[in-house]
Amino acid sequence: MDDERGIATVSDAAFLEVQRLLNREAALLDRRDYAAWFDLLTEDVKYVVTARVSRPAETGPLDYAIIDEDADTLRLRVLQIGDPKLTRAENPPTLTRRFVSNLEVEAAGPPNDYAAHTNLLVYRQRGTAPDGDFYAGRRRDLLRRDRGSLRIADRLVRLDHNVLFDGSLSIVL
Amino acid sequence: MNDVTSIANGDPWVDTANGTVSREIFVSEDVFCLELDRIFHRLWIFLAHETEIPNRGDYVVRTMGRVPVIVVREASGEVRVLLNSCRHRGTKLCRGEAGNARHFVCPYHGWSYALDGGLISTSYDEHLPADMDKADWGLVPAPKVESYKGLVFAAWDPGVSQLRDYLGDIAWYLDTLFWRTPGGMEVLAPPHRWRARANWKIGSLNFIGDGQHVATTHAGPSTLNRLHSKKAGFFVRGGESFQVVTDEGHGCTLTYLAPGMPEGNYLTHPPALRDAYAEVLSARQISMMHHLRVMVGNVFPNLSFIENQVALGEKAVLIRQWQPISGTETEVLSWVLAEREASAEYKDRALKHGFHNFGAGGVFEQDDLELWASATQASDNPIAQRFPFSFHSSLPFDSAPIENARGPGRAYKPSNTEVAQLAFMRRWDAAMQPGD
Ligand code: FES
Ligand SMILES: [Fe+2]
Repeated sequence: MDDERGIATVSDAAFLEVQRLLNREAALLDRRDYAAWFDLLTEDVKYVVTARVSRPAETGPLDYAIIDEDADTLRLRVLQIGDPKLTRAENPPTLTRRFVSNLEVEAAGPPNDYAAHTNLLVYRQRGTAPDGDFYAGRRRDLLRRDRGSLRIADRLVRLDHNVLFDGSLSIVL
Repeated sequence: MNDVTSIANGDPWVDTANGTVSREIFVSEDVFCLELDRIFHRLWIFLAHETEIPNRGDYVVRTMGRVPVIVVREASGEVRVLLNSCRHRGTKLCRGEAGNARHFVCPYHGWSYALDGGLISTSYDEHLPADMDKADWGLVPAPKVESYKGLVFAAWDPGVSQLRDYLGDIAWYLDTLFWRTPGGMEVLAPPHRWRARANWKIGSLNFIGDGQHVATTHAGPSTLNRLHSKKAGFFVRGGESFQVVTDEGHGCTLTYLAPGMPEGNYLTHPPALRDAYAEVLSARQISMMHHLRVMVGNVFPNLSFIENQVALGEKAVLIRQWQPISGTETEVLSWVLAEREASAEYKDRALKHGFHNFGAGGVFEQDDLELWASATQASDNPIAQRFPFSFHSSLPFDSAPIENARGPGRAYKPSNTEVAQLAFMRRWDAAMQPGD
């Protein structure tokens, strides 16, 4: 599912529905409205973030997970960063702005409906630090109609980083 | 600048009688340069785990202080540590983090080297003077390279003692983490790497014995893990705990299971492996493991380790390295390991559990990092540096090790004093002395 060969086009209506969902989702995360955000996920959601080992081109790329959550552990992570009493990294809250672009949508095999591929750029500013940081990567979301709406069932974020430059990742990508 | 007192105001860097430590040593670039000389370019420094480079020609690229090195398994199966810099004009032979090579060819002018570092050809050998001996122009090897239970170390001072002697009594504890089954441990994935805007010593101090930060810094996971494990039907409560200090400034903190927790079955260890422990560990080591909930510690200067067990089936062994970049910056590397004999399913769970808690996105890690950065930033000025850090809670306990500890070394109770941290600072202070 990770490579993007043969992206089959879907109807414009489907494309727009996916785009609306991802835009709304990004806005909720930027606003730190995690309760509303969690409602956009299926109950069996998976969330994986990978980074990359820098290797010779002949050896081929190697991505490895830095975050790998199921619904339970993702909920714990978000309960922590969403509660001012339970987080140091996100209190005061860091400022984030997510840019989700270059959307491509294809039909996905059951039980999911679509696979959405996007570029992700997150600007993030912490405290009074003079400079912000960026996270850049390619996202692959599997989306499923569930409880009446399209929801995110499985997210893979392949970061274009090997060393993460701003400490430890305390936001959702 | 070559004595062990503060550059700014003449106070001692480490005042063990009064339990204070200068802030300057946690930010100053001058102190940092001296640390490179006296610690990182001299003592045994951890580099890699053997299982990261299982096959001939496998290599990883690592750093010892400021020194970039290639850690490679050469044709004979031995691990070599080579300066990652061409002898001609300095270009890096390996510019990625890891790979496999049959030999190293410099991308600049084409000098080529064997896996053991020997110079094969300059590609213009016919232009060399007759008396140039190519044997003198191989990649520079670290003079000392040794492994202990899969942990590869190197040192640039040929006069350092044997690694096993350097580790001393901490080796007994390392055994129980890194060689508890006949096959030993295996690294499950490449190390996470991230930058901390903090001095490397803060990490070492935090791991050797900072019981005081857990409840406040980690209010998040401490609270949430309790909820989570209620759902899992089991919470591994901690009971008696103490700190262990060994020679050379190594140490660890051990927390046992609370009374009433089922003991004697290694609790969260894979059932299939429990019998294997007795094949390689002593009865005393096994009796410690039976009752253990958390072991966390540090090998001087910058190799930390932790095994933490929260709920049934949730534990992982982690290696952590605080790789110094400057006085105020550190690159952190973090590996997750499991017993080689463990099932694929168990390894997968250990990996996920390991980096859910500790790693580039760890729920523990993120809060430590933020607070270390703020301590570093706030101390990076001469006014703050007039006021040293407090290690006072070590003083009432420092001279009174307890009897009947469960393992070697000097053990202290309670575990949430700063005894082990002061021992680390004492060793650091000694290492920084010109004549040490
Ligand atoms: S620098 Fe390596 S061959 Fe010239
Ligand atoms: Fe911590």
